[in-house]
Amino acid sequence: MKAILVKQPGGPEAMELVELPVSQPKANEAVVKLTASGVNFIDVYVREGRYKALPPFVLGQEGAGVVNAVGADVNSVKNGDRVAWTGVMGSYAEYAAVPADRLVPIPEGVTDPQAAAVMLQGMTAHYLSHDTYPLKHGETVLVHAAAGGVGLLLVQMAHNIGARVIATVSTDEKARLARAAGADEVILYTQSDFEAETKRLADGKGVDVVYDSVGKTTFEKGLNVLRPRGMMVLFGGSSGAVPPFDLIALSQKGSLYVTRPTLANYIATREELLARSGAVFTMMAAGKLKLRIEHTYPLAEAQQAHRDLEGRKTTGKLLLIP
Amino acid sequence: MKAIRVQQTGGPEVMELAEIPTPQPKPNEALVKVSVAGVNSIDGRFRDGSLRTPLPFTPGQEGAGVVTAVGAQAKTVKVGDRVAWSGALGSYAEYVTATTDSLVLVPATLSDQQAAAAMMQGLTAHYLANDAHKLKAGETALVHAAAGGVGLLLVQMARMIGARVIGTASNQEKASLALEAGADEVIVFTQQDFEAEVKRLTGGKGVDVVYDGVGKATFEKNLNVMRRRGMLVLYGMSSGPVPPVDPAKLSEKGSLYMARTTLAHFTATREELLARTSALFAMIAEGKLKLRIAKTYALAEAAQAHRDMEARKIAGKILLIL
Repeated sequence: MKAILVKQPGGPEAMELVELPVSQPKANEAVVKLTASGVNFIDVYVREGRYKALPPFVLGQEGAGVVNAVGADVNSVKNGDRVAWTGVMGSYAEYAAVPADRLVPIPEGVTDPQAAAVMLQGMTAHYLSHDTYPLKHGETVLVHAAAGGVGLLLVQMAHNIGARVIATVSTDEKARLARAAGADEVILYTQSDFEAETKRLADGKGVDVVYDSVGKTTFEKGLNVLRPRGMMVLFGGSSGAVPPFDLIALSQKGSLYVTRPTLANYIATREELLARSGAVFTMMAAGKLKLRIEHTYPLAEAQQAHRDLEGRKTTGKLLLIP
Repeated sequence: MKAIRVQQTGGPEVMELAEIPTPQPKPNEALVKVSVAGVNSIDGRFRDGSLRTPLPFTPGQEGAGVVTAVGAQAKTVKVGDRVAWSGALGSYAEYVTATTDSLVLVPATLSDQQAAAAMMQGLTAHYLANDAHKLKAGETALVHAAAGGVGLLLVQMARMIGARVIGTASNQEKASLALEAGADEVIVFTQQDFEAEVKRLTGGKGVDVVYDGVGKATFEKNLNVMRRRGMLVLYGMSSGPVPPVDPAKLSEKGSLYMARTTLAHFTATREELLARTSALFAMIAEGKLKLRIAKTYALAEAAQAHRDMEARKIAGKILLIL
């Protein structure tokens, strides 16, 4: 089968299109023939070596497709089932072997590409706004990269809950998208200082929570815009990892909370995985969560997909089609 | 007036009894004749310079006494009122000025010693258990320094809420005090590794919350004893400040939450201060919360009080009697 292999960490050129044998499923696994695989910023961190994976490895941790073979102990899925998953490496390929307890059935009314588009980013937006800091009607939230993959979904969810959303983006086009998704205020951080702007928009009170996937360039300023006892939710690092920070600053800036969540800890059990993916699919079916899939690439063009993503040219979801 | 002065930061010996002019209250302040000054761990942090304040200064942030003069704008207190406070720097003295917003009336049911003993540590225990991490019945809390000033009060409050309390203490005598206060288990950390013990006591799951006023000495292990998505509330640093924290650790160890809190943000408005002090004074008056006044010293013996506190010889509250 064709697959994108990383032999040693590096830039986009570290991804090579290769021929690999299709794996046989282990006893607890199923092999899925992929219809689409999702591209996520976390793939960049893994490709670069910022997040550890033992090379050589097939990149990608999100996909959707049809079950093609099942291992001896598998009862939850059978051949022909349409399934989606996240959190298991190997999805930039034509086939992937996935532990069956990580496979989620795709409901009727959701296409394979839609499922591939929503698993990681949709469940991330969901856990952030419903569990890490359960947003309440009337609260004010700051969302960075609001026109990104998670961003557009998180803005919609926050809006649906009735929170006031302040969004940061880098271009007018992205601002338009963030507003359409439900952002109440949009700051072009390339033109104004988001810290000063957010303080002004929050009437000097500060925001209740900051959802930050950007990291290095935004973390410190994010702490400055939180209300006393507010929460900094750092869930990514697209501008770089946040360096170690001084805790006394947290107390001085308002007895603030910091958390650095990761999706795996919010879908740790199959129960939780099914509940969370189910909630996301339900929102989609109700028309409350719109996916923006503007960028699909053939599997062979994975390098270009990463270049476009890292170049901040894209909005919404990127998919690779085998 | 007589006052303890710190000319330069350092060990307990830098606190000297001096004669200085009695301060004058500003329009929004009152002048209080101090009857009892509370000694707290945080006083040591200002004294040794870990927390900054301009030199020279008079330490002490807590006490009880009688109002002898009020500024022009004073509304909440009048001359002759018996008051208590927490947060007005300068309490190790015969007189202290404090904003009238920060002074609370002491009910007839409480003595000056009880009021002074209750303020800082009682309000701290109260905000920790009710707000920093709102403890729920059935949860498990790890309370470090469980026989310390805050510790004994926090253990009692956690017990009232119905949480399971695992405490740590430096010797068997203190462990007994903590058990008497209601802790379910107490680990004598000088004899056993608290990390291993907490894991054993929780069947490997970890605790829901860690309340830590110790800081440096316990930080790393604290990250290992919490359940997935557990909470670390750092409210002090008696063993020294925690070095800068890499946020990646929080996700690695289970998408943990961390807060670094200070009492000021939990008594920011007079409303909040009064709500907390009423709750606290009521618990004491009703006999539900027992204050342990471990030792009293004369003002001139402040340095010895700090020496004894930092040698960890004292279990309970330390007071200076004027």
